[in-house]
Amino acid sequence: MTVLDFARGPGLQWSLVIFLVGVLWRLMGIFFLKHKRDLNEPRHGGIAPWLGGLKVVFTRMWPRKDFRARTAYSETLSYVFHFGLAIVVFFGAFHITFIKSLFGVSWGNLPNSVIYFTAVITLATMVALLVRRLTHPVLRVLSNFDDYFSWAVVAAPLVTGLMATAHLGGPYETLLGVHILSFEVLLVWFPFGKLMHAFLFAPSRAAAGYVFTRKGAST
Amino acid sequence: MSADTQSTIDLKLPGLSVEKPEVRYDQQGDMSDEERLSQAMRNFAKDFGYVAAVHMDSCVHCGMCAEACHFYVTTGDPKYTPIWKIEPFKQAYKREAGPFAFFYRLLNFKPAVSADQLRQWQELIYDSCTVCGRCSLICPMGIDIAGLVSQARHAMFKAGLVPHELHAVAERAETEGSPLGATPKVFAERVEWQGDENDMEIPVDKEQADVLLTMSSIEIMKYPEAIAASAKVMDHLGLSYTFSTEGYEATNFGLLSGNSDWQRDMSMKLINAAIKCKAKYLVLPECGHAYTALRWSGATIYGKPLPFKVRHISEFLAEQVTNGKLKLKGGLNKSVTFHDPCQVVRRGGAIEGPRTVLKALGVDLHEMKENRGTNWCCGGGGGVVTIHRADPIRYKAFELKMRQVEDTGAEMLVTSCSNCRQTFDDGQAHFNWDKTAQSMLELVAENLQET
Amino acid sequence: MAKSETVGEHLRRHGISRRAFLKFCAATASAMALPPGAGRAIAETLAKQQRPNVIWLSFQECTGCTESLTRSYAPTIEKLIFDVISLDYHETLMAASGEAAEAAREAIIKDNPGKYVVMIDGSVPVEGGYATIGGKSMLDICKHTVENAAAVVCVGTCSSFGGIPYANPNPTGAKSISMLMDEGRVPRKPLINVSGCPPIPVVITGVVVHYLSYGVPELDHVGRPKAFFGQTIHDRCYRRPFYDQGKFAKTFDDEGARNGWCLFELGCKGPTTYNACATTKWNDGTSFPIESGHGCLGCSEPNFWDKGSFYAPLATTESGGLYGLGAAAAAGVAVGVGAAVVSRNHQKKLQEGK
Repeated sequence: MTVLDFARGPGLQWSLVIFLVGVLWRLMGIFFLKHKRDLNEPRHGGIAPWLGGLKVVFTRMWPRKDFRARTAYSETLSYVFHFGLAIVVFFGAFHITFIKSLFGVSWGNLPNSVIYFTAVITLATMVALLVRRLTHPVLRVLSNFDDYFSWAVVAAPLVTGLMATAHLGGPYETLLGVHILSFEVLLVWFPFGKLMHAFLFAPSRAAAGYVFTRKGAST
Repeated sequence: MSADTQSTIDLKLPGLSVEKPEVRYDQQGDMSDEERLSQAMRNFAKDFGYVAAVHMDSCVHCGMCAEACHFYVTTGDPKYTPIWKIEPFKQAYKREAGPFAFFYRLLNFKPAVSADQLRQWQELIYDSCTVCGRCSLICPMGIDIAGLVSQARHAMFKAGLVPHELHAVAERAETEGSPLGATPKVFAERVEWQGDENDMEIPVDKEQADVLLTMSSIEIMKYPEAIAASAKVMDHLGLSYTFSTEGYEATNFGLLSGNSDWQRDMSMKLINAAIKCKAKYLVLPECGHAYTALRWSGATIYGKPLPFKVRHISEFLAEQVTNGKLKLKGGLNKSVTFHDPCQVVRRGGAIEGPRTVLKALGVDLHEMKENRGTNWCCGGGGGVVTIHRADPIRYKAFELKMRQVEDTGAEMLVTSCSNCRQTFDDGQAHFNWDKTAQSMLELVAENLQET
Repeated sequence: MAKSETVGEHLRRHGISRRAFLKFCAATASAMALPPGAGRAIAETLAKQQRPNVIWLSFQECTGCTESLTRSYAPTIEKLIFDVISLDYHETLMAASGEAAEAAREAIIKDNPGKYVVMIDGSVPVEGGYATIGGKSMLDICKHTVENAAAVVCVGTCSSFGGIPYANPNPTGAKSISMLMDEGRVPRKPLINVSGCPPIPVVITGVVVHYLSYGVPELDHVGRPKAFFGQTIHDRCYRRPFYDQGKFAKTFDDEGARNGWCLFELGCKGPTTYNACATTKWNDGTSFPIESGHGCLGCSEPNFWDKGSFYAPLATTESGGLYGLGAAAAAGVAVGVGAAVVSRNHQKKLQEGK
């Protein structure tokens, strides 16, 4: 079985299974812990707490005005990275083809040159963010294996994807196989590290939003 | 130093140097490390509910919380990063209660918490956190870091790892009824004194009253004019009210130190007193965490919804302004800026009340650049003002406050929390500043229209 | 068959001018991207050669490779091949049959040990009884013929990699010639794999001519001559600009298809297929599958029959589909809820003092 055959076949099958099992395990394992009912009189005149929770899911996407000066750099880099990755993943023709094969839905793609350009920008912001993580005093205290491994596991598909499309570094079928495999590593790691924030951001923000809105507190 | 005056003791040794006082690890009791750890783990476990869990599982180590914290921003020391303050709590959660806890323990993905680690964390969980909640507001994942610090204190207390001074005042509050010696007897005496000073009869221990007034020990002992001020306002409003010697202390050092049993005792005193006099309203004084304790945890402790409404004095005053009952002499021609107390405004939700009142007073209000929810903490809340070990970083945070106030160009600083007032007073003395925080309640009491 | 004649003498006897012969050698040399002087070198070498004997063995095959070779539109060139080499045994083309044909093969083997070339199409069954010729199993015939051969040229994907009979479930236990050599069932000899289903005519002839002139050409890791199999269809495809721009046909008759856009999304395996189709094309340069509007099947690659649908793009998965994923999701939910229950109990125990 060649690298590509494995990557397209059992590799993808099992990594998708592990991804699904892991993600749902982690989400359900958190969600079914004790929920406490708040018996205190809620603040009147505001929006319903559940609506407030939903609102906070969106409002936390950008820091409040008074916080922006101190956070603009990393927030901007982070968004360029996320949007860049989203463009590459969701508007690259080959990825749309992949999603279609799994879910049956597809949409128009962007020209490949736009995708290559975006991938390079995305990789550049990743490097900038890594440098920041390695040099900023707060991040040096906080960072652990999860932070660096998650970074690598996201950078690898970007790098190998660029290499495959540029036919750089080996026969194409091997480069493609390695690229798909790198995505599978990402899938397998996803539920266990901080990449889960892709799912957790919503319930986490919503929980705080609910509690704070019920009090009329600042959100 | 000449040879004959040189000391034979090496004054640079850690234990002896006055220049660099060794960080002390305060401990209570003589439990073994094992015992302490076991107590900590048991009490961490009580707090691993859904909200705490989803928050502790969501941190992405972005470091933004540090940028909101006055202690980090003014010192540049990364150990004050808010989410780092609860690292042992997070560690314990992932090992004991998280969805993959089994694997964490089996493969040791995170080491077990140790007593040493908890000792090291004492200064992070107590000295350098006022539970102000600014970090909770900036976190892109919506993690209520301040709430987690509060919860982490439960374990620290039971493990006997609370800073000395905070433990001492909390114990005093539990045993004597007040952290500052304002026992029921002392309280009653001071109420009577204030009544005499102001030529008024201030009701105490009435059998029935619509409003139960409460006080903080800081006001009772340091700003006793507040007692008279509240009474004057009530008289002006024509409300039936009373103080109660069985439930008057609104501060809750059980909450601040992390002892949930004491927190319950302290809250129940107030609740029982209100029930006893069949009050419709329990009005909390100018105090921050009193609001957090009773308004937002009272019913939780009571086990069912409270049979009366709980209001902070600032929002109570605002309500009375709005419904026209509180008539103020407008035209207080001063430029004023308002310091939003963290627990009342950002954490508590009683945000617009002070503005309503200040407007009715007719002041020229200069809002601070960061106001309402994003106001900077005074640096003394959460018990920090009691911990002398924390003075250096508290003063650094205070420099930020002074700049913030000066930038408004206002001539007067007003607030609605007596712990903030105490912190401002101390800061004023330390820095020879020309301002300190005035009480909004006292300002109101001084500007009541004659009825 | 006159065995003492050289190729040059033989050609002159048949009225093929030296000019025509040079033209053939030059065309073949250019097809293999050899330098300009090579055409002449080939001509001189070939002319001096004895017409080498070639035994063509046909095993489990469809005869498509022979059809490809003979279905040429420039008969002069291909017929030259039959004059350049001495094709002594070929079941489809030879006049003889039955025992006369078998005897002819044996004679060549006996009289020219170590000198004849074996060309093989079709894969060989190793399970007993699936294919015999004249009472002998294909495996035995293969072994016996290759034993004294100078070299083996596998024509087509079946003999190179197993091909159709080797595809799932492979009931006859078919194997390629290189597999047989690896397993020691057939003696190891210099081996050239000219894969394709079928291979392009000029690729077959080019390899034979190269072998006669220079010996075994440079081979890739699966034994194919790099001259013809060194690059992918994708590398030389005329529709490549559309791939690069991201313009793909989505169905076989949509606007993209009619505009000649890239067929990647219709399953084209061009990027992973090594062959000369995109440059040399078929039917003497008329067209090739992509140009005719159908994606490359990857027919010159090992196991191409078993790599999933021809219409499944390379960027898709051949995994279990949504049912399998649905089962995984259910499992995840169940385990997660279980973990929460365990956690709550564990927390209770912790609170009670372990």
